[in-house]
Amino acid sequence: MSKKKWAIVLDDSKCIDCKACTVACKMENHVPLGMYFYRNWVAERTKESEFPMIKRMFRPSQCQQCENPPCVHVCPTRASYQTEDGVVLVDHEKCILCKYCMTACPYDARYVNEEIEAIDKCTFCYHRLAEGRIPACVETCPPKVRVFGDLNDPDSEVSKLVKMHDTEVLKPEKGTKPKLIYIKR
Amino acid sequence: MSLLKTKVSRRKFLGLTSGALASTLVMSNFGVLKKVGASEEKGNSKYGRKFVPSTCAICVNKCGFIAEVDNGVIRKINPNPKFFKSRAMICARGNAGAKVPYDPDRLKKPLIRVGKRGEGKWKEVSWEEAYDYIVDNVVKLVRKYKNRSTIAFASTEGFQEEYFIDLANIIGTTNTVRHPTLCLASNIQGYSSVFGTFPDADIANAEFVIIAGSNRAEAIVTPDTIDMAKNHRKQTLIYIDPRATKTTALADKWYPIKPGTDLALVLAMIHVIIKENLYDKEFVEKYTYGFDKLAEHVKQYTPEWAEKETEIPASEIYWLAREFAKHAPRSIWYPGRRSSFYANDVYYRRACAILNAICGAWDRPGGLIPKSKIPLRKYEIEFPIFDWTRDRIDAGKVPFLGDVLPEEDKTDAGLPTDSCQYLSEKDGSWILFREAILKGVPYPVKGLFVYKQNPVESVPNRKKTLQMLEQMEFICTIDVAMSDTAWYSDVVLPESTYLERWDPVHSLNGVVPIAVMRQPVIEPLFDTKSMFEIMCNLAHKFMERKDFWEDTSEEDLEMFKETCLKRLTKNPVKDFAKYQVSKYPGAFEQLLKEGVFYLSDKPKYGKTLKDGFRFKTRTGKIELYNVKYEEKGLHPLPVYTRHTDPKPGQFRFVVGRHGQFTHASTQNNPWLLEAYGDKENAVWINAKVAAKMGIKAGDKVKVKSPVGEQIVKALPTEYIRPDVVFYVHGFGRLSKGLSNIYRVGASDAEIIVDYMESISGNAAMHETFVTIEKI
Ligand code: SF4
Ligand code: SF4
Ligand code: SF4
Ligand code: SF4
Repeated sequence: MSKKKWAIVLDDSKCIDCKACTVACKMENHVPLGMYFYRNWVAERTKESEFPMIKRMFRPSQCQQCENPPCVHVCPTRASYQTEDGVVLVDHEKCILCKYCMTACPYDARYVNEEIEAIDKCTFCYHRLAEGRIPACVETCPPKVRVFGDLNDPDSEVSKLVKMHDTEVLKPEKGTKPKLIYIKR
Repeated sequence: MSLLKTKVSRRKFLGLTSGALASTLVMSNFGVLKKVGASEEKGNSKYGRKFVPSTCAICVNKCGFIAEVDNGVIRKINPNPKFFKSRAMICARGNAGAKVPYDPDRLKKPLIRVGKRGEGKWKEVSWEEAYDYIVDNVVKLVRKYKNRSTIAFASTEGFQEEYFIDLANIIGTTNTVRHPTLCLASNIQGYSSVFGTFPDADIANAEFVIIAGSNRAEAIVTPDTIDMAKNHRKQTLIYIDPRATKTTALADKWYPIKPGTDLALVLAMIHVIIKENLYDKEFVEKYTYGFDKLAEHVKQYTPEWAEKETEIPASEIYWLAREFAKHAPRSIWYPGRRSSFYANDVYYRRACAILNAICGAWDRPGGLIPKSKIPLRKYEIEFPIFDWTRDRIDAGKVPFLGDVLPEEDKTDAGLPTDSCQYLSEKDGSWILFREAILKGVPYPVKGLFVYKQNPVESVPNRKKTLQMLEQMEFICTIDVAMSDTAWYSDVVLPESTYLERWDPVHSLNGVVPIAVMRQPVIEPLFDTKSMFEIMCNLAHKFMERKDFWEDTSEEDLEMFKETCLKRLTKNPVKDFAKYQVSKYPGAFEQLLKEGVFYLSDKPKYGKTLKDGFRFKTRTGKIELYNVKYEEKGLHPLPVYTRHTDPKPGQFRFVVGRHGQFTHASTQNNPWLLEAYGDKENAVWINAKVAAKMGIKAGDKVKVKSPVGEQIVKALPTEYIRPDVVFYVHGFGRLSKGLSNIYRVGASDAEIIVDYMESISGNAAMHETFVTIEKI
């Protein structure tokens, strides 16, 4: 059996900043209330422009599930680790809250979860994958901005989307090789 | 220039110890969590995990969901993949609904007021005590005034609203007032005056869509919002609004039109389409009435003229008209929903419908489509006829109608000035209704039942609503939370939430109709009941009062007992639901298991285009020229009236929606408040105007109108015209039972002037001018 390579391909030109993905993630993963606690987010990218030349643009994002994850490299206790199928996770038991990973992550994807006293971040809803379900943020999105799937499977929707469109990743210069892949506008 | 930044960087908090983080940021949240934990214990203690399909009720869309329940506690509300009406999604509000039953602000027991109205002193009572209190008061009032219509009923839509209306029928009042005249009454009226019905838009198959004043990204309507977003790369979406809302993210062009002039734009487009022979001649000839008169009428409305009105360049108007006609029948001027903008709104909506009609973009793929429905069985209930029932208080000739019309519309605007012409019997007109009650004309209305609605926050001119409540001798509110209206009531009945009860089957009418119902996801957590149970119990209580039935006949009463008391109130909602779909084998089981039932998942086009079909208009055709309007002395063709401009120093106040909030009902949900991105609302002011006035982001300003004033934060932004200001609905609340938003931010109900559209009875929400003053 070949290994999976889970990824999310996004067409954020469809995003309406409805926050279904952020609320769904909080519900699914017991992320505490509070504006500094989140596993995913929607950033407004509207170019600074003057009335009436306005075009609003939104960019939803989360942990990039880097193939080359600096957060894992710097973690002194190996609490941060990468699974076989390339998902970066945090073992909450091992985490000592040194926050090296938070500093190392170029995407500001991690936060301190007070309730579990550990660093927390997007897991690609790993518990759902085990049941054959897709991540909560992917599933709930009204226009389905995110598509989840296996990049190692050439017939998966994600592989097709990547083949079909021009794509980009965030901060490629960091060499992290994100598995959050954006379709260009 | 930016609005609320949607992502907060956590970087600066890296240095803080986790302890400091906890104390500054999450303290209050822990409080909530603890309470939630406590209430969860009371819930269904059945162990195990289950997935229960049911239907969302946090907004009007009613999306199918599948709730994941762990050990009797709702863990997550997930979309129902079979629910194609909302394209298998659950929005932010639907997701946050998982916390609704556990909200510490919920009403948990019946309450009777002990202090003064609005003082907030309550005593918890049993349901029996509450029912006795209600029945005593109603009987007393009806006998005192020898008038059953002295009791009024205010409600908003929902799957159990019919039971509330049943209660109104049992009491024998005609005075029910519903939400449409604060919403889309003028829209329904305008489109119906052309097509005989209010259609849906086939966005999924349209190529060219114009959406004016309907902010579909933030006011989600299924499936329209989703189809607009999904079609983003292949569909042209034109967005017309004085504000650059989130809908501009999907738009190919945004026109910040001068408010109040949309009708000029539509008329000029019709002008171009006719003049350049771009209309669908065959369609016009075969299906419409009055084209020649229309053609003659719109000669005056040139794009050059419209440019001066709308501030949209004539060249753009030509382009819009030509593109619209080119893509027809896959072109739509989007009908929208809340349409209560101006005092002549019906004429505007008529013009929008006419534009679609002359292009033949009707009942064909990608155009406007008459709604289809799934027919359901129902019980026929015979309510008694009473001698003491009187006509609606807002019907017929109303001597004070001028009081609720803007100055310029009192004379030759082509609007009725002595009565509200097309009042729907059940809906009434909120503005006129309240005005009549305040004046006590033609008779006093002294009792009020409120279900699910919150008139204090939803009807313009809050002071008048409070006065209306003040003059009531009895007010009973049924709700899940202590709304502002509940706060001023005498008795408050706690309803079970939509996650804790059975609701009957409803057909969601549309391009493709779909039927849904509700089954309980969890058992009721507190001492609450559904509207159905409340109605049944009250019905039987009223029966015990002999002195309540003397103005009806024995015969009527017998019929009522047979049809209502023995049938309706003796069968649980679950059995009724089963009966409703009993003509479709397997439908009920499918609803239980899959959460949806439908006859087809494909749209059917063209049933109104078949030979011999009669549109529900006087001529049986699509009426470009409305014959009935002519008879009533109204404009049979849409006539443009110029609206007053704000004077120097004034701004036009516009209303609008936000994706996290359903009307005034979800602002208190902490997850949605957080997703909104702020703890309070803020007034949008054009950045340059604000700079000139010395107003900076976050400054407190006073927003003052002829009827009220509010203090609110300023939000200078490039996203709004210089002559317009706006803030989000539903803040600055009066009920202490809404702990996250009590007196936080500003209420728009407090400052909007209560003007009315007298053809539909709709509130005219954009006729208010305000001044802004830094404090
Ligand atoms: S749910 Fe989808 S549309 Fe909504 S904010 Fe998230 S990505 Fe954007
Ligand atoms: S985005 Fe940040 S947290 Fe996620 S894998 Fe990359 S470095 Fe690690
Ligand atoms: S994949 Fe799961 S954990 Fe990650 S952002 Fe989406 S919902 Fe949250
Ligand atoms: S749109 Fe959202 S709130 Fe409305 S019914 Fe659907 S899920 Fe519920």
